[in-house]
Amino acid sequence: MTAEAILEVRDLVKHYPLTQGIVLKRQVGAVKAVDGVSFDLRKGETLGIVGESGCGKSTVAKMLVGLERPTAGAIRYRGEDITKLSGRALKAVRRNIQMVFQDPYTSLNPRMTVGDIIGEPYDIHPEVAPKGSRRQKVQELLDVVGLNPEYVNRYPHQFSGGQRQRIGIARGLALRPEIIVADEPVSALDVSVQAQVVNLLERLQSEFDLSYVFIAHDLSVVRHISDRVAVMYLGRIVETGTEDEIYGHPTHPYTQALLSAVPVPDPEAREHRVGAPPGGSRGRILLAGDVPSPADPPSGCRFRTRCWKAREVCAEVVPPLAVPEWFAGAAGPAHPSACHFAEERHVVPSE
Amino acid sequence: MATATTPDPAPDAGAASPALLDVRDLYVEFRTRDGVARAVNGVSYRVDAGETLAVLGESGSGKSVTAQALMGILDSPPGFVTGGEIRFRGQDLLQAAPEERRRIRGARMAMIFQDALSALNPVLSVGTQLGEMYEVHQGMKRKDARAKAVELMERVRIPAARSRVGDYPHQFSGGMRQRIMIAMALALEPDLIIADEPTTALDVTVQAQVMDLLADLQREYDMGLILITHDLGVVADVADRIAVMYAGRIVEHAPVHDLYRAPAHPYTRGLLDSIPRLDQKGQELYAIKGLPPSLTAIPPGCPFHPRCPRARDRCAVDRPPQYDVAPGRTSACHFWEETLRDEEPPHDR
Amino acid sequence: MPDAYVPKEAVTHGDGGTTALAMAEAESLESGRNGRNGRSGRGAARPNGRPRSLWGDAWRDLRRNPVFLISALIILFLIVIAIWPSLITDGNPYRADLAKAQEGSAPGHPFGFDTQGRDVYARTVYGARASITVGVCATAGAALLGSLLGGLAGFFGGWWDALLSRLADIFFGIPVLLGGLVFLSVVTSKTVWPVVGFIVLLGWPQIARIARGSVVTAKQNDYVQAARALGASNGRMLLRHIAPNAVAPVIVVATIALGTYISLEATLSYLGAGLKPPNVSWGIDISTASTYIRNAPHMLLYPAGALSITVLAFIMLGDAVRDALDPKLR
Repeated sequence: MTAEAILEVRDLVKHYPLTQGIVLKRQVGAVKAVDGVSFDLRKGETLGIVGESGCGKSTVAKMLVGLERPTAGAIRYRGEDITKLSGRALKAVRRNIQMVFQDPYTSLNPRMTVGDIIGEPYDIHPEVAPKGSRRQKVQELLDVVGLNPEYVNRYPHQFSGGQRQRIGIARGLALRPEIIVADEPVSALDVSVQAQVVNLLERLQSEFDLSYVFIAHDLSVVRHISDRVAVMYLGRIVETGTEDEIYGHPTHPYTQALLSAVPVPDPEAREHRVGAPPGGSRGRILLAGDVPSPADPPSGCRFRTRCWKAREVCAEVVPPLAVPEWFAGAAGPAHPSACHFAEERHVVPSE
Repeated sequence: MATATTPDPAPDAGAASPALLDVRDLYVEFRTRDGVARAVNGVSYRVDAGETLAVLGESGSGKSVTAQALMGILDSPPGFVTGGEIRFRGQDLLQAAPEERRRIRGARMAMIFQDALSALNPVLSVGTQLGEMYEVHQGMKRKDARAKAVELMERVRIPAARSRVGDYPHQFSGGMRQRIMIAMALALEPDLIIADEPTTALDVTVQAQVMDLLADLQREYDMGLILITHDLGVVADVADRIAVMYAGRIVEHAPVHDLYRAPAHPYTRGLLDSIPRLDQKGQELYAIKGLPPSLTAIPPGCPFHPRCPRARDRCAVDRPPQYDVAPGRTSACHFWEETLRDEEPPHDR
Repeated sequence: MPDAYVPKEAVTHGDGGTTALAMAEAESLESGRNGRNGRSGRGAARPNGRPRSLWGDAWRDLRRNPVFLISALIILFLIVIAIWPSLITDGNPYRADLAKAQEGSAPGHPFGFDTQGRDVYARTVYGARASITVGVCATAGAALLGSLLGGLAGFFGGWWDALLSRLADIFFGIPVLLGGLVFLSVVTSKTVWPVVGFIVLLGWPQIARIARGSVVTAKQNDYVQAARALGASNGRMLLRHIAPNAVAPVIVVATIALGTYISLEATLSYLGAGLKPPNVSWGIDISTASTYIRNAPHMLLYPAGALSITVLAFIMLGDAVRDALDPKLR
């Protein structure tokens, strides 16, 4: 894939200060929600960002669409750093980067009709659609996302979760953005409805030439929809590569643990799993303990406290996110992995 | 409609000893301002000791309501059990005195909820809440109950249990709280545990830990386990048998291997086909068309027919009974045979 | 997969219905078929009509609500007689005929006479002006000030919020009656405005707290974030997204407050700090009459009854408006 990068994220950092005291607030530390994240998004591709809760993936999403201001770092949209913009210029850029939210129940204003919700982008950016054409545009959008255009006068509560998510997607499409940041767009939906929405997102991508940043904790959905994947842990990307590199040739221990923990909907797989030796090819890697607090992350490699490979160097040296030199030339495992001891391990059964 | 009035025999109902739990033809409805919502419409299943039955369904399928009815914790009103039997070791719980039911609940059957944070009392330490089980049900002294609480926490593999017994629920992580819920359910060594989406709210690595723990404990105590979930992956991992629910009915009931190998109901097939797989980069996902029906207006005939790729005229009028597909396996589809063989549905509908 | 599985046709059949079930799975019980669900039909059955707004829908709903119609009629009537009392009485509320003191109803004087021999009917009618003015103006003032300050505090947070909350606490700390006695005794004006001003001053913190709380709740919703991500201005987020979702509790508290304000005026008048004669107000009359309740209950009954009906009408109105502004109840 050699398409141009339309979004370049460099060393993005978001720290939330922890303060003490009511009147004289004094900073006693910071929650390091995102701590140095870099990636590119190319035209027409889907970048999946996976990680468990608290890894900072949603904070990244919020910074991309301008809901949070980064503490440091740059987000370059077509070469222009949007974190430095404000006012009119920021508003113009926002047109091109839209968001789809996770919860279809709270992301639509219950006191607005569907027509008002989908038409609101045109109120905020009146230059996109002249007043007279808005209603027609809203109805077209409803049709595009697979809803009856006659629904403009209904309220969100009259729809099911999947239909609401379609409304949210229609709102995201209204300004014809180039990039859609989708934060867990299907995780609140039922299985059968989830498939409908995933298919819709894929159809819209080819129809409107969209680039997606698709954030989810469901590794199967991410594999399905993504061209490239970034795995996050405690505010950093630990491994990134194409969908096949990450799922077929994971080299970072966290990625391996994450993938091996996903229950596969195939009872035949469990015989290979239960009781398999810990180093066995299908043994599930069970991580000990919980994710450390992002207010006080471990030194060196952040994953070392739960890693079975950790040695002294892991506590002292932060492993860079780069292609490990010992993989140079190897087709599958040669992708960036932030581990001193990266090695390939098959954890996802190949067909 | 023949099966609506005559109880469907649960699969392997002919077994000699009374099952641990035997649900027969259970009906639950919710009487609301908008009409009567028929949440459970003739559900039958049984669970034996040491066995895991997965009840699979999407939201609104009635899977959780069935569990609430079993436990006797249905919100009533608006919820009412309007028919059927719930036999626990042969005794019909629906006929039992409230006092008797209360005794059974907690001591002999226990429930694990999805949201541990709201199921635990935020102002009491976990040690107090765990100890309370022994104080109330077994009349144990506070100090002994405390020791028992520590023991339980160790059993569910909470690190440093002795020093954390005085901590409050919010001081634990999501996975640890779910362990405490499991500890609470296990406290009185029940015969049956009903787990309602026990790992849905957890991260995938933590989910794996908790499911493994639950499976280990079940083996250790030889308990029956009803696992209510929407996650086909979790089911494949731990269940012995699966009951798939749709619109308040069981549409397919089968041993787990058979069901995944060759589903005998189009809904099950649709579900299996619609999940993205970790081990394959698929093309377009199969999506079951449409939406689950409103429980206040369940379609006549087969409730799945408006969404079914195999539906024919007969399906809209004739409610399918539980057809025996194989010993211990049923399907509520008129065309289960062609579904099983995965034939193309005929085009002249 | 064949295109037939794209669920478009099927989905468009789904029509939501509200199913207020108290069950875990209630969320997706919706989606009955078009028209099956009578309740949702009212709000939704018109396909493709004119675009509608929340307030338009609320008004359509209110017009059919008997509770709203009755309370609105009562309030309209009260407002009319507050402005033109002579429309329904030709009596003079000031003319005293001591010979008739405390007498019961008589021809032309249906409510009887008070302790100074004044016509109770005329006084009750004329009293509406003071009570309604105090109640409505004080409520309007307190609600405006309170929801403005509270709403801004909730929306912007930070030091502005801290400052405002402390300020509200200070006003909360003022004892109502003591404050009223001190504040109003230095005022010489004989109009109702000092009383209104005093009530607004004491009343706004209560509204501000409610407004702040519901704005904070509404602000956290994803739809506000969604509007922000679209580039919406603060004003738009406040007016379009937060205010409509935060206004219900304020309306309820304000209508209840209206009742209390009218009685507060009565209490202050009783203590001699509120309205002073020759003003005519239900409060003054109730306080006067309370001493004679054994001998002449009618003196108390009529102004007190008028007060109760007024307060009740406003509370019912508030209730109906709140319900109409919530599409989920439609």
